[in-house]
Amino acid sequence: MRVPILKLHEYLLISIQVELDDKTALQFQEDLLSKIHDTSAKGIVIDLTSVDMVDSFIAKVLGDVVKMSNLMGARVVLTGIQPPVAITLIDLGINMRDVPTALDLEQGLDKLQQDLEG
Amino acid sequence: MYSTINEVIIHNRSSIEEEWKSQMLQFKEDERELTSVTNDVYKNSNTEFIDNLLNHVLDGQDEISSDLQDFFERTVQIGWPLSYVTKGLQLFRRIGLKTIVNKKENIDGIMDTFEVFDRSIDTLYEKIVTYSTQNWKDTISVQKKALLELSAPLIPVFESISVMPLIGTIDTERARLIIENLLDGVIKNRSQVVLIDITGVPVVDTMVAHHIIQAAEAVRLIGSKCILVGIRPEIAQTIVNLGIDLSDFPTRSTLLKGIEAALELTNKKIETLS
Amino acid sequence: MAVQSCVDVRNEWDIVSARQLGRDLAKDLGFSSVDQARITTAISELARNIYLYAGNGRICVEPIEEGNRRGLRIIANDTGPGIQDIRKVMEDGYTTSGGLGAGLPGVKRLMDEFAIHSTVDVGTEIHITKWLR
Repeated sequence: MRVPILKLHEYLLISIQVELDDKTALQFQEDLLSKIHDTSAKGIVIDLTSVDMVDSFIAKVLGDVVKMSNLMGARVVLTGIQPPVAITLIDLGINMRDVPTALDLEQGLDKLQQDLEG
Repeated sequence: MYSTINEVIIHNRSSIEEEWKSQMLQFKEDERELTSVTNDVYKNSNTEFIDNLLNHVLDGQDEISSDLQDFFERTVQIGWPLSYVTKGLQLFRRIGLKTIVNKKENIDGIMDTFEVFDRSIDTLYEKIVTYSTQNWKDTISVQKKALLELSAPLIPVFESISVMPLIGTIDTERARLIIENLLDGVIKNRSQVVLIDITGVPVVDTMVAHHIIQAAEAVRLIGSKCILVGIRPEIAQTIVNLGIDLSDFPTRSTLLKGIEAALELTNKKIETLS
Repeated sequence: MAVQSCVDVRNEWDIVSARQLGRDLAKDLGFSSVDQARITTAISELARNIYLYAGNGRICVEPIEEGNRRGLRIIANDTGPGIQDIRKVMEDGYTTSGGLGAGLPGVKRLMDEFAIHSTVDVGTEIHITKWLR
């Protein structure tokens, strides 16, 4: 199973719609990084609206993806984290303090635009 | 032993009933909570009460009869004072024991009879106390729930700016509810900034601060921002003295200043029309 | 007695099956969406521990009743190497896998009750419970 990555001008849009198992998560990490390399995208929005559970492993993969993308010169925003997921992450003691977030895809794109222009 | 009690009660049933009823009527005069009850209803209730009490003793069972249990539960549910039941039991005990003692020809077994009767009343006491305590507990837990539901409203004040005023003490259970309301409200109103106003929180200790920090972190995860407002001087002092680190998210002294900061964060401005 | 359903954990896919099992039961029992996420996440953490450290084991879920409370219990057991120092793994931030270190203390915070029993070279059994509110 693969997570589709869409390109829109200088942005990459990802909406995670599948139940993330470990392999799919790692495959996604790899796919995204090579896509950044191929397209020289500047901004990435990963939308988690349909994700109903993030455990410590998936949180780590997502956090790593953000750091790796930054190293390659692309900014990442996570959007649409649902309240139950946010509360669970806080309970687990994972606050993802360095990861930029936005309410939804639209605000995520606005945020990227501001960051890249400012 | 039961037969002795039964004998005494069957022989003196009407006099016991009469004395008990007249004293219960006196009790109604003295008990303010019963003034709104009509005499007819009160008398009917007394008749049922004493019948059930006498039957309970005549049956000689350790367990409370279902009729009596039913009567107790109804009395509690319609909101009559517990003292109505306890007074009734006290009078019944006193009158019953007096009647047993007065029946002098059976002096040998008198102490045993006395005790059996006394014990059977004790069972009734335990039942009514247990039932009414449980009833109060249920009421309290229902009210607690109702109070919780009212306790953490999220109010949208501008497009993309909301306020959550917190009033009263914050314990773990309430903190959980506050976080859930906060996050659901942020999603519903698409709030980019949410102000948590702690003006009405009397004490901010390490635990409360911990809950507030967790709420702010959860808000950030779903893609919004938190500003903590209503920091009174004594709260600022406690926070620093306890070594609580709130430096990760913005704070303001008043709601007004918080709203100014929120407007700035969302690129908004309020202007006076000339 | 309530029915227990179990999933054997041997590979990464079984982690997904285990948490789906937990989510379905939590939903059936009427847990809120937040508690469903807590339960599913706790199972995921325990199943991953089994997969990473023990190689194989089993996750079971069952509805429980105690007095007038109802809830869901999860039992995770494995025949792995066991845990040498339980106090240490229950400390925040302790990790041997290079993860985020959420681990068992995180699982404990997600749930209402947590009990662990482990014998070196025999295995580990963890019982966790969430009560309906």
